[in-house]
Amino acid sequence: MLNKQTYAQLGEAVYRTTLSNGLQVILVPKAGFHKTFAIMTTDYGSIDNVFVPRGQTAAVRFPDGIAHFLEHKLFEKKDHDAFDLFGQFGASSNAFTSFTQTSYLFATTNHLHENLDILLDFVQDPYFTSATVNKEKGIIGQEIQMYDDDPGWQSYFGMIGNLYPKEPLSIDIAGTVDSIDQITADDLYAAYRTFYHPSNMSLVLTGKLDPEQTLDWIETNQARKTFTPSAPIQRIASPATQPDQVIRQTTRHLSVTRPKVSLGIRGFDTVPTGRAALTYSVAVSLIFDLLFNDTSDNYLRLYDANVIDDSFGYDFQVQRGAHFGQLAGDTDQPELFVSEFQTILADVFTQLKAAEPQFDLVKREAIGRLIGAINSPEAIANQYSGPLFGGTMLFDELTVLEDLRFEDLLPVAHAFWDHSVQTVATILPEGLRND
Amino acid sequence: MDVRIKDGVTLDLLPTKQFKTIGIKVDFVTPLRATAITARALLAQVLETSTAAYPTQTALARQLSLMYGASFGITVLKVGTQHIVRLTCSVVDEQTLDAYQDAQPLFERGMALLRAVLFDPLLPHGSFDPTTFTQQRQNLLTAIKSLDDDKQYLANRRLQEILFAGQPTQAMSALGDITTLGELTAADILTTYHDMLAHDAVHVAVIGDVTLDRVTAALAQWPLAPRQVTDQDPYYRWTPQDQLQVGDDLAPVVQAKLNLAYQLPVYRNDADFMAAVVFNALFGGTPLSLLFTNVREKASLAYYASSNYSPFTGTMTVQTGIQAQNQARVQAIIQEQLAAVQAGNIDEQLLTEVQASLLNARLSALDSPQRLLNARLSAQLTHVTMSLDDWTHALQAVTVADVQRVAQRARLQATYCLHGGVDHAE
Repeated sequence: MLNKQTYAQLGEAVYRTTLSNGLQVILVPKAGFHKTFAIMTTDYGSIDNVFVPRGQTAAVRFPDGIAHFLEHKLFEKKDHDAFDLFGQFGASSNAFTSFTQTSYLFATTNHLHENLDILLDFVQDPYFTSATVNKEKGIIGQEIQMYDDDPGWQSYFGMIGNLYPKEPLSIDIAGTVDSIDQITADDLYAAYRTFYHPSNMSLVLTGKLDPEQTLDWIETNQARKTFTPSAPIQRIASPATQPDQVIRQTTRHLSVTRPKVSLGIRGFDTVPTGRAALTYSVAVSLIFDLLFNDTSDNYLRLYDANVIDDSFGYDFQVQRGAHFGQLAGDTDQPELFVSEFQTILADVFTQLKAAEPQFDLVKREAIGRLIGAINSPEAIANQYSGPLFGGTMLFDELTVLEDLRFEDLLPVAHAFWDHSVQTVATILPEGLRND
Repeated sequence: MDVRIKDGVTLDLLPTKQFKTIGIKVDFVTPLRATAITARALLAQVLETSTAAYPTQTALARQLSLMYGASFGITVLKVGTQHIVRLTCSVVDEQTLDAYQDAQPLFERGMALLRAVLFDPLLPHGSFDPTTFTQQRQNLLTAIKSLDDDKQYLANRRLQEILFAGQPTQAMSALGDITTLGELTAADILTTYHDMLAHDAVHVAVIGDVTLDRVTAALAQWPLAPRQVTDQDPYYRWTPQDQLQVGDDLAPVVQAKLNLAYQLPVYRNDADFMAAVVFNALFGGTPLSLLFTNVREKASLAYYASSNYSPFTGTMTVQTGIQAQNQARVQAIIQEQLAAVQAGNIDEQLLTEVQASLLNARLSALDSPQRLLNARLSAQLTHVTMSLDDWTHALQAVTVADVQRVAQRARLQATYCLHGGVDHAE
C-alpha cells in the first residue's frame, strides 16, 4: 500500500512504502520524462570496517576498502555479469560507494520491468569466489592509482585525514593496494550477510513510471525470494578523536602547477536526528553561503587581493557520525589564504551579523538551485539519505529553506562553531618550500 | 522551431512544460583562426566578470542571486573548423515559486541580463576596465596552466599536439595558448569584441514554457545588426601521415596514461555517419565495448579504457590508465580488437546491445534541457536534421558489414604515453 505525499506548488508527488521484508520503496513519477532512474542503496560504506558479522558474536576488523570491493564484485555471477544483462536492453548501469552508503543503479527508457528485476536479483544474489576476487584486485588497484594522480582528491583527503586521524573516514574509500590484497571471498560474504538485508536497504525510482504498477513488480520479485528475519547491525565505532587530537596543519608536495589549500572545520557538536538534521544541514550551508559565496564582501575583497580566484569553493556535509565544512582553492599565496580565512572564522558571529542584508539573496539562490535540481531524476534519487535526514526528499529541503529566517541561523551557528576545530592541508608544487 | 531573426541570426525555440527552468543559450560562431582563439577566450572571461550596471563580480553575482539563483556563464569551444563563444543562462520558471512578486518574469530578466553582458559591458572611457582586464588575463593564465594538473587532460592535449603538428587551430585548446595570452592588451580584446558582435553568426536557443512572442520580443531588445554570414564547412579534413607519430613524457604520476589517435574520416553528413557512431560505441565508447571488456574486465590491466569519435574532425581517440610496464600489452590488445572488427568478427548480439544502448542514450537526452539546447548548434552547423524516428531507423539499419567497412577506414596516427617511468610502478 503506497503512501502518497504531494507537493502542490512544485507539481510533484512522492509514493512510499516499506515491504514486509523491510525494504524501503520510494517512487517519484516525473510527467513528460522519457527515462527512469533506479537506485538501490545499503546503509553500508567505507567507514563500516569493524562490525559483528551476522550470526557471530565477536567484532571483526575487515580490510580497508571492503565495501567498495564488494560493490565491484556484486555484478559478477557464476555464468554472467549483471552489467551485460542490463546491456541486453540498452540500459546503463553503475554503482558507487561513499563513506556510509553503497548504491547500485540503472537508467533506462524502456523495459523497466526487466531492468528492475535484474537490479533486484543481482543485488540480492551474491556470488564470490577466490578466482573472481583476485581478478578484481588489478582493476581496483588501477582505480586507486588513478586517484593517487588527482591532486584535488589528494587535497580533500589530506584535509579529512587531519580532521579524523585514525578514524575510518580518513582512509580512502577504495582502500589501498595493500589492504585490498587481503580481501577474501569469505570477507565479502560476511559483509554482505550483515549489511545487505532488505531492512538495511532502500530502493528509489524516479522519472517515467507508474507507481502502482512499479510497486507490483517489486513485490512480485520479492515474493519469489525468502529472507531471514531482520537483525540489528552492530557497527563498532573507532575511539572518537578528541578535539586536541585533530592534526592542525599538514603540507605535502605533489606534481601541481599552483599551491592548493584546503581548510577543514570539524563539528564536535551533536547533529539533531531525523528531519531536524536536514534543517541543521540546510542552515549551516546557508551560513557558509552568507560568509563565503560570490555575493559576500569577503569574496570580492579576497578575489581582488588575488588570495582566491575562480577555483575557490566551499561545502558543508553531514554524514552518519561526522560533519564538517571545507574551504578550498588554488592560490599563489597559501599563507595569506589561510590567515585571511582563519581571521574570518575567528569572528564568525560578527561576520554573520554583517552579512544579514544578503540573507534574502542567498536564500533565493539556494531555492533556485534546488528547483533546478528537481529537473533531474538522478538528483532527486541521489539526494535521498534515508534515516540520516529522517527519510526526507529534495522537495522537503525546499520547505525547510522557505521557512528559514535569519534569526534561526544564530543558534545553529553557535552549535557548530562553538565546538569546532579547524585544520589546514596544503599541497605545494614539487620543489617549492613553504617559507 | 527554427526561426531566422535577421540575416546571420537564428533562433531555435524548444517549447515544453517538462522542466521547472527556462534555459537560454547564445552561440557566437566564427571560423577558427589560430591568432583569434586566445583573444576570444580572454574576451569571454572578461565579459563574464561584470557589466556597466554590475561593475564587480559581486554586483553581478548579487543580481543573479536576486533572480532566484539564475545560473550564467560564458564558455568557449571548438567544433570542427569553428570557434564558439557560448553564453548560457538558466532561470527558474516562476510558476514553481510560491511567492514570486517581482514585476517582470524571470525569463525576461534573464534575457535582459544577457543583453547587459553582451551590449553594455564595463567600458569606462571606451575601453575595458584595466583592473578587470589584467586580473582576468592572469586568472585565465593560471586556469590554463592548472588544467595540466589533470593528467588525463594533459595526456589528451599532448596527443592532439602530436596528431595535429603544424596545424595550430586543431593542435590548440579552445582556450588558446599562454604565450599569446601574455601579450594581449585591453585594446586587442576590444577589437575582438566589436568583431564578434558585428560579424559572428549568432545562434540563439531557448527551452522551457515560453511562447515565441515572448522570446522574439525579448530578442528585439538586443541591438544585433544583420550580418553577412557565408555558410562554412564545419568539417576539418586532413591528410593522414605515412609515419606513426609517437610521443611520451616522464612525469611524477603513479598511473601511466596511454592515449591513441586514429584518423576516422567519416563526417556528420556522410552516409556512413551512423555506422561510425555504432563502430565507436562497440569498439570503446560504452561499458559494453571491446576495449572495456578486453583491457579491463578480461586482462585486468586498467580501470578505464575507452574511445571517443568526433564527426567534425574525423578522428577517434582511445584513453587508458595503466601500469607503464604494460604499455606494449595494452597496445597489442587494442590493436587485436580493432583488427577483429576490421575482419568482420563482430558478435551480432553485441551489435544489437550497442544499438539499444545508443537509442537509450538518445532518448535520455530528451530529459536534459542542457543537452537539448547544446544539440541545436550541431544542427545549425551541419544543416543535418533528423527526426527521432528517422534517427532510430538509421541506427537500427546499421549492419555488421557497415561497422566492418567503417572500421577499415580507421588508421592509427599517433600514440602518447605520460608515465612515471617503468621502474616506478609497483
